[in-house]
Amino acid sequence: MNKLSPLPSSKLTVINFYYAYRTNIFGLLLGVLFGFLMSHAGATTYDYHAKMFLLIDLQLMKVIGTSIVVAIIGILLLKKYKVRAIATGTEVDFVKKKYQEGLITGAFLFGIGWAMTASCPGTVPAMLGEGKIGAVFTMVGLLLGTMAYGVLQTYNDHNKTREKTYHHRD
Amino acid sequence: MEILVWPGWLAGIAIGLFVILHFWLIGKPAGSSTGYGNVCGIMSQKLSYYHEGEYRNKYSAKLWFLVGIPLGGFLSSLSSVEPWHLSFDMGMYDAILPQSMVAKAIWLMFGGMLLGFGARLAGACTTGHALIGGAMLNPTSLFAAAIFFISAFITTQLLFGT
Repeated sequence: MNKLSPLPSSKLTVINFYYAYRTNIFGLLLGVLFGFLMSHAGATTYDYHAKMFLLIDLQLMKVIGTSIVVAIIGILLLKKYKVRAIATGTEVDFVKKKYQEGLITGAFLFGIGWAMTASCPGTVPAMLGEGKIGAVFTMVGLLLGTMAYGVLQTYNDHNKTREKTYHHRD
Repeated sequence: MEILVWPGWLAGIAIGLFVILHFWLIGKPAGSSTGYGNVCGIMSQKLSYYHEGEYRNKYSAKLWFLVGIPLGGFLSSLSSVEPWHLSFDMGMYDAILPQSMVAKAIWLMFGGMLLGFGARLAGACTTGHALIGGAMLNPTSLFAAAIFFISAFITTQLLFGT
């Protein structure tokens, strides 16, 4: 225990809390911002998805196109000035997703799910916040689908280690 | 509930700035679907896949990101002229989806399963591949995003029978 009076002591506690959890705090706040923007962009409104794929109204196309252009410029600047991340103090890591086996199949299934539910993993939670009942079921499905992939991978790993042990015994 | 929708270019600029802000604050690309893996890890102790590698830290910034999204959606819905209320109105989809509530729920759950399973199999969702991957001009992500769009385009055309 420190011998400080309550006010500086609680101030230190707050600072400690911030340093210990700043990445998670930023994550939470960015999530709130993301949900807010997705909603105002129309990505949580069912009809905009149908209208985009039926080529009636390209609102969501315009949104993603503009945002990518703005982000490309931003990323160039972040790279040029070797900006350090606030949470880690190290240079921003622009790690790219690598090709993985099953990407094409997965992307196809994802697209079908997108058309069926008019939502994506990022918009479903925002739709919950807006009071859309349909999002509850999509959310349950999302978790089941993610779970199913985990079961498959866990089972695969288990089989691989078993094969290895048998191999060693021979 | 009628939510105020900004013009496409305005929302696009705002989301582009969000992407930059995310990089600057967290120091890593944003993503939505990885957080669902964390939720699965928390729900099941037996599922070792969601306890290892990139899922080692279950209470990650990605999970907290996911937790924050509903609040953002709620705040946005306050801009509506109607007061906040629950709704099962699905607009244009009401005409083509099964009419009974139970069948509609099963339909959405099945679609959700395809989203969840597909996102993990493809490595990321629309956020990670199309938005962030597109902004980083990552060929793999652009390829995946193109398949997302083509597949959803074909399915929507079939659903609406045009």
